[in-house]
Amino acid sequence: MNDVAKIRVDGLRKEFGEVRALDDVSFEVSGQEFVSIVGPSGCGKSTLLNVLSGVEPATAGTIRITEGERRARLGYVFQSARLLPWRTVRDNLLFVQETRDAAVRERCERYLDMVGLAHTAEQFPGQLSGGMQQRVGIARAFSIEPDLLLMDEPFSHLDAITGRGLRRELHELWTRTRKTVLFVTHDVSEAVELSTRILMFAKGGRLVSDQRVDLPFPRDGSSDEVALARADLLRRFESLDLLAT
Amino acid sequence: MTRGGLTGRTGVTRALFWAALVAVWWVAVPLLPTGLVPGPAEVAVFMWDELRGDTLAPFTVYESFALSFERLFTGLAIAFAVGVPVGLLMGLVKPAEHFLHDFTVVGLAMPSLVWALVTGMWFGLGDLAPVTTVALAAVAFVVINVAEGVRNVPRELLDMAAAYGVLRGRVIRHVVFPSLMPFFFAALRYGLANAWKGLVLAEVWASTSGAGWVIKYWYDAHRAQGIVGYALFFVIVAVFIERAIFGRLSARVFRWRPEIGRPVPETAAAESVVPKSPVPETSAERSG
Amino acid sequence: MSDSRLARAGWRIAGYAFFLGLWQLASGTVLDDVLLPPPAAIAGEIAGIAASGELPLHFFTTVSTIAVGFAIAYVLGAAIGLLMGRSRWWEAFLGDGVMAALTTPGLVFALVTAMIFGLGNLGPVVAVIVTSFSYVTVNVVEGVRAAPSDLVHMSRAFGRTRTQLLRHVYLPFLAPYLFTAARYGFSVAWKIATLSEVIVGTAGIGFMMRRSFQEFNMTGFLAWVLIFFAFALFLERVVLQRWMRRTLAWRPEVAA
Repeated sequence: MNDVAKIRVDGLRKEFGEVRALDDVSFEVSGQEFVSIVGPSGCGKSTLLNVLSGVEPATAGTIRITEGERRARLGYVFQSARLLPWRTVRDNLLFVQETRDAAVRERCERYLDMVGLAHTAEQFPGQLSGGMQQRVGIARAFSIEPDLLLMDEPFSHLDAITGRGLRRELHELWTRTRKTVLFVTHDVSEAVELSTRILMFAKGGRLVSDQRVDLPFPRDGSSDEVALARADLLRRFESLDLLAT
Repeated sequence: MTRGGLTGRTGVTRALFWAALVAVWWVAVPLLPTGLVPGPAEVAVFMWDELRGDTLAPFTVYESFALSFERLFTGLAIAFAVGVPVGLLMGLVKPAEHFLHDFTVVGLAMPSLVWALVTGMWFGLGDLAPVTTVALAAVAFVVINVAEGVRNVPRELLDMAAAYGVLRGRVIRHVVFPSLMPFFFAALRYGLANAWKGLVLAEVWASTSGAGWVIKYWYDAHRAQGIVGYALFFVIVAVFIERAIFGRLSARVFRWRPEIGRPVPETAAAESVVPKSPVPETSAERSG
Repeated sequence: MSDSRLARAGWRIAGYAFFLGLWQLASGTVLDDVLLPPPAAIAGEIAGIAASGELPLHFFTTVSTIAVGFAIAYVLGAAIGLLMGRSRWWEAFLGDGVMAALTTPGLVFALVTAMIFGLGNLGPVVAVIVTSFSYVTVNVVEGVRAAPSDLVHMSRAFGRTRTQLLRHVYLPFLAPYLFTAARYGFSVAWKIATLSEVIVGTAGIGFMMRRSFQEFNMTGFLAWVLIFFAFALFLERVVLQRWMRRTLAWRPEVAA
């Protein structure tokens, strides 16, 4: 499988009036990486995803997200599921597809099945629990076979047990597909558990640290290496938070 | 309010209400200071005769209501044809909102009696005054609800569609239009209620036919059972429209809503994308 | 953002100017100026009515009809609403009646009361009661249902008495609904009062509307309508609204 995206962000700035949300951010991501973006609230994490996906224009700087020669296809998983409440689960997946031929339909069913929700295809989102809705959102993102997957704190609205189950599911999906993922979270443990690399942002939207997480998968939260890595990150994270406030 | 047929425990209670009403009516009529008030039996006979098409009035109850409905729907069609574009304009363009806001408030609050009498003086007796009254009485409800609906199209769904690069036409059809539906419904429901009351008045003073005119005819003829009988016909028609038409239609259009379909298991999503509820009769000043 | 507020006021004034200009232009061209008298003529007529000394009599007649009728309707409607909100049986029993009262055109009540009470003021008062009570009832029922059951349970758990429960839990949550009930009810009450006066009034705003209508005096008609409409709208939108905001300052979503 070689469908991996390459992101190049150079001197990116984003301002909302007087407020600076992203300050001279530069980084590169090459294929098959699972990159977590962590930082205190208000550090511009979500803004970064919005700018990368083109929902918001950048104030300055350049972004290139390419897949070989063409523009990369993006999948997006939001904090809330953001499903159309008046469409069935299946139609919600079809809504974001470019075409609706038999192959596409089959693909949608396949990803619904992968998140264990094939049986809900005919139901409306309002009939599903919060965790199930979020899984539909994840299936939707994978179903367009994206070159790059953007995820904005997708598990933060869920209870702890549902969140843990979904994290495991996401990790399995990623191991199987090896999509490039940008994963925004404020939860350091979550970042350590899932990522191959962690970018840390400070208040004011500055990128302050960029480090690899070279631990083997699957990662057991109770093992020493994982606990050490997490403790190390948490220490930095807290010092950042203190510095900023 | 209570829904469903006259079955089950609430059904018995509801039937009891109507029985009690008739009983009180029966007892109270002879005690009243005037001999003009009819008892339940007289009214029942009157209504039965009307339903058989046997009437002293120039029109049967069927002809009268059919004519009134024709005027109602013509007027409502005009109100929507004018109100939807104006509402879209007000919802999308800020200056238009400031320009028109106060007039829609006045339009909402204007008694339909005024429309009925003014159009009566303008157009004389005939169809034109009732139809115009209907349009004028309903248009402000259409404008205010469409404008509110446009302002309430869920931002996060539009962003989601943009992030996935969904084409504009599909976004309008699958995101914008469905989120406007509750507001269209509210416009129809409240506009219709107000228009119906205005229509009846316009028929009294500015036409020589229709359900409103016939009720005035009975009043002038001092036949009180005619007024009460027609009043009951009005109630029956209103309940029919509410239950059979609006109830069915909204159950169909809004079948995606969990409270109408099956109940929601476990917890629902934290951030709801269901639009906030439409504007009822007199709450137009929120945006002011 | 003072300039946007300025622009807002500007567009608003432009709206009034445009509307008055359109009216002025249409009068005598699109419609005969007997049918659509220009704004200045109506302003003159209002001044004339004010100077003639007719105004206080008719104004007082209508306002007292509304005050008496609506006060009774409010108490009655609220009592029925409390009953229906607290008890399933009463809700089932009275639900249809309230629904019927809500949907019946005001004309029907105006004619029936006219028939029973004849010419005079009693008919309009009764018409106001039977028409507006149902609007009060539905809002009070909503309000009783909105009272949070967790606070009710909390109060019970701490052994609070019934009166304390009513005063400190139900009433604060009911307050916005009581205001909404007042506004809806009042907006219906003044309309039915004028309608009823049009039919049986011997004095009052509605009576003057009928006289102008019969004399085909559009200027007089519009003048009387405008005087009263402005008064009712002022009470409904400004006085009641202010009062509500002051009382409900603890609920930001209502007060805002």
